[in-house]
Amino acid sequence: MRVALTGTPGTGKTTASELLDSDLSIVHLNQLVTEEGLALGHDESRDSAIADLDAITDRLDGRDDVLIESHLAHHLPVDRVVVLRCQPEALIDRLTDRGESAASARENAESEALDVVLGEAVAAHGESAVIEIDTTDRSPAEVAAAIDRAIDGDGPAPGSVSFIEYLT
Amino acid sequence: MSDSRWAVAHVHASFNNTIMTVTDLTGSETLAKSSGGTVVKQNRDEASPYAAMQMAEEVAENVLAQGIDGVHVRVRGPGGNEQTNPGPGAQATIRALARAGLEIGRIEDVTPIPHDGTRSPKSSGF
Ligand SMILES: Nc1ncnc2c1ncn2[C@@H]1O[C@H](COP(=O)(O)OP(=O)(O)O)[C@@H](O)[C@H]1O
Ligand SMILES: [Mg+2]
Repeated sequence: MRVALTGTPGTGKTTASELLDSDLSIVHLNQLVTEEGLALGHDESRDSAIADLDAITDRLDGRDDVLIESHLAHHLPVDRVVVLRCQPEALIDRLTDRGESAASARENAESEALDVVLGEAVAAHGESAVIEIDTTDRSPAEVAAAIDRAIDGDGPAPGSVSFIEYLT
Repeated sequence: MSDSRWAVAHVHASFNNTIMTVTDLTGSETLAKSSGGTVVKQNRDEASPYAAMQMAEEVAENVLAQGIDGVHVRVRGPGGNEQTNPGPGAQATIRALARAGLEIGRIEDVTPIPHDGTRSPKSSGF
């Protein structure tokens, strides 16, 4: 089985992925993209590599029993998608603590409020393949335990949290 | 009077809801606001094209009554929980504004892009 662990940057994917019980092997996709240059170009204003999804798909072709950890993971062929969520103000704190710029933290918080990653995940894989985990008031260990359950198919369906009030 | 008869409709279309705020051209004064959640009862329907349309009709009537003739539209978020047609909330909103009698000016997609040193190639656009 292939699982995508996705969510807006700062929701805690990389942190939680280190704490899983699961036997799936873990692919840290952002690292792979950067190290192997799997990019179409560079977005200067966001200082971000524009991921080459076809090249990534080919690179991971034939890898089964993996958990792919990245906010890009739901763009790949997978059997199940776990979307981590975080209240946008708390997300800004996490991203700022991690050293991201204010502009970057703000755009990611707005993406989170608009359910951008969740919407893309559901559009690509269907509601029944997607499980949503709110990480806002949970420790990394609690999030990891919820991801382990989600890998087995157990957890809240898309639409279980809404952060749109952040925009009003 | 130097009052502009144009305004800006800011449409936020998420998976869960569609909300709209109409401001003056500078963005400083709010003329009207509404959300899909105020016109439908079922939580799950807040992001539906139907809710977006109802909301847009209400808002259009309100700003027409304030003397606004047309709106530029700034859309954030693909929105909507109908996977077959990304962006039903945003599109339904714009169509309803036009049908209610508002002129539609520039439509800009300002959907944010998640990024952290990498980003996806496609903006989620509508
Ligand atoms: N459950 C959590 N609660 C509070 N802070 C967290 C949690 N998980 C991660 N963090 C912190 O938030 C920041 C982003 O976490 P990270 O795992 O890098 O996110 P992602 O990989 O999703 O971008 C880090 O500084 C991390 O220490
Ligand atoms: Mg990470």
